[in-house]
Amino acid sequence: MTISVKVMKRPAPESTSYLRAALSGMALTFKHMVNPTKVTQQYPEEQTELSPRWRGTHVMEVHADGRPKCVACGLCPTVCPANCIRLVGGEDDQGNRYPIVYEIDEFRCIFCGMCQEVCPVEAIHVGRHFENAEYTRDRFVYDLDRLMEQDHPSTLLWDPSDPAGE
Amino acid sequence: MADDLVTLTIDGHEVSVPKGTTLLEAAKTIGEQVPHYCYHPGLSSPAMCRLCLVEVEGAPKPMPSCVTTVMEGQVVRTMSEEAKGHREGVLEFYLLNHPLDCPICDMSGECDLQDYVHLEGRKQGRGVEPKRVFGRDDFGGDVLFYGDRCVMCTRCVRFMSEVEQDERLTVVERGNRSVIDTFFTEGLEGTNWHGNIVDICPVGALVSKDFLYKARAWDLDHTPSVCASCSQGCNVMLHTRDNLVHRVKPRENLEVNGWWMCDHGRMDYEWINDGNRLEAPLISEDGVSRRAVGWKDALGELLGRAEELEAASVRAVASARASNEDLGALAELVGALGGGETVFRSPRAQEELVLKGFPKLARRKDLAPNVKGAELLGMRRVGDDAGAGGLDSVAEHGSIVIVLGDVLADQGEDFGAGADLYVYLGTHDSPAAKHADIVLPVTSHAEQEGTFTNHEGRVQRFWPALQPPGMARPAWLILGALDAELTGEGAPETAAELFGKLSDAVPAFGGLTYPDLGTQGASAKVGAGAGS
Repeated sequence: MTISVKVMKRPAPESTSYLRAALSGMALTFKHMVNPTKVTQQYPEEQTELSPRWRGTHVMEVHADGRPKCVACGLCPTVCPANCIRLVGGEDDQGNRYPIVYEIDEFRCIFCGMCQEVCPVEAIHVGRHFENAEYTRDRFVYDLDRLMEQDHPSTLLWDPSDPAGE
Repeated sequence: MADDLVTLTIDGHEVSVPKGTTLLEAAKTIGEQVPHYCYHPGLSSPAMCRLCLVEVEGAPKPMPSCVTTVMEGQVVRTMSEEAKGHREGVLEFYLLNHPLDCPICDMSGECDLQDYVHLEGRKQGRGVEPKRVFGRDDFGGDVLFYGDRCVMCTRCVRFMSEVEQDERLTVVERGNRSVIDTFFTEGLEGTNWHGNIVDICPVGALVSKDFLYKARAWDLDHTPSVCASCSQGCNVMLHTRDNLVHRVKPRENLEVNGWWMCDHGRMDYEWINDGNRLEAPLISEDGVSRRAVGWKDALGELLGRAEELEAASVRAVASARASNEDLGALAELVGALGGGETVFRSPRAQEELVLKGFPKLARRKDLAPNVKGAELLGMRRVGDDAGAGGLDSVAEHGSIVIVLGDVLADQGEDFGAGADLYVYLGTHDSPAAKHADIVLPVTSHAEQEGTFTNHEGRVQRFWPALQPPGMARPAWLILGALDAELTGEGAPETAAELFGKLSDAVPAFGGLTYPDLGTQGASAKVGAGAGS
């Protein structure tokens, strides 16, 4: 099959002018300069408003004395569909059950929020946060200290004044 | 015997059971598990938990099925609305003071209270009064007691008084303040069977210090095995996770250990997890340096060196921790290499620790699982009660020396220095393997399939629970392959095939096969000095 190329007939350069089209284009530009409706967002000076259902990187709640609220019950690694939570439980110096190792691989995480849903002590939460850039990949495995240090707020799916959602 | 059978109807099914059977046991025969706490088949039934209530037609009130014996023509309903209603009421009482701390409770996932409340309990609690709080108590030994979780079934008290027959526990106080306690300062320390009260506790009131917070019950894989701590051969389950054994639990076998096992065997699992293992075959050309090679090279080298030796004779050291298959394959290989003597050593305890309420079960003097098997396969026991010494003739032997499974802890570095060919098969390296020409890594019993012969000649199977480290392979597979090269016969491909051959050749195993052994083991048909 031969391929035919359609050749467009263009007006001869000496018989046409682009001035009118150029002016109408400039008019549109000037109209947008004075138009109050902004489309471009000035990130990072202006932050996007996140959806109330937003689920971002995790936050571990801490007690007033700085201990993690986690009791190492093992429900979040059990329920996690992406298998991204590693937990080793142990006993602390006061005889409480606590996580010796608690790591979340945020690369593997699918941000379903089931870890938060299943947590019996309201310790692990998904956060209202999305700026997670790092220079190395291994920084994306968040250990317990890092999760406790996270200062961004928890998701709005969880109301601290009504922790059990009643 | 037909006269002794009683026919009754349970949940619409007609069942015939021997006279004197309880309703609870009769219901088990049709697969109905009536919820219960205080009843345990190995203990007396006080009928005090009131959870196993069932409806019996004609009876004025619900009957506790754990003590009500069957009667001819009885009509029993275990799952009727009335029976369920009674049990729901009883369960509500149990939750009045239960702390519901399942997230931090080690029993969570295998807890009878959890299971029954999910199954038959109220969906919502109605309690408004504050719960009484006891806190936790150290009972000594390996046991921690959480009084708040206790359902007062008294299985632990009855185990100590009826089975171990060393009363260390009792119920103190009355009413809802009643709690299990030890006598003053005397705890469970010094008793040898107290680990069993952790097993029989239906809730998380008694937990093991060793297992405390280590793993969740639902994460553990269970593999049937045999305890390798003494020659009793208790049937056990190895609970593993991440290729590590986390705990050992007894497995029911009424012929050997009932429902119980001793604390020594229960705690004797850390050596299985030891990471310092031989992982690749090693060859030494000059007796000084060793290099790792593949299996084909290692076995080829071994056979090549053995062929060079004229009129070889073998001295072999076996281990009573090796399986029947390993030892049988070793005996075959020794024969094929020119014949010789195989000896083994095993530590021996001063006395037997008999479980008084179940005298079949004891921690035996021989502290290795397969002493009987090694003896039945014609190996000679040498050495003293510490499992040392007795190897002088082997250490100085000039021709072929084979060591299987014995780490030769008491032997010096010059062991086997004069041997023409010294082959060391072991899980761990040893200073006494310094002069070994060929070192072959083998698996432990937790990593391979096989059988042990216990002190009374009962052959019992165990299953692989862990992945072997590196290139380690079962000793029977290695020795069988070598034997096949020497004799020209086919190499055994499975442990079952090898045991079948062994069983035909050795009268003590009396033609047993793996299907005969099943999960509970079997005694050889030919009397092999049973009950030693």
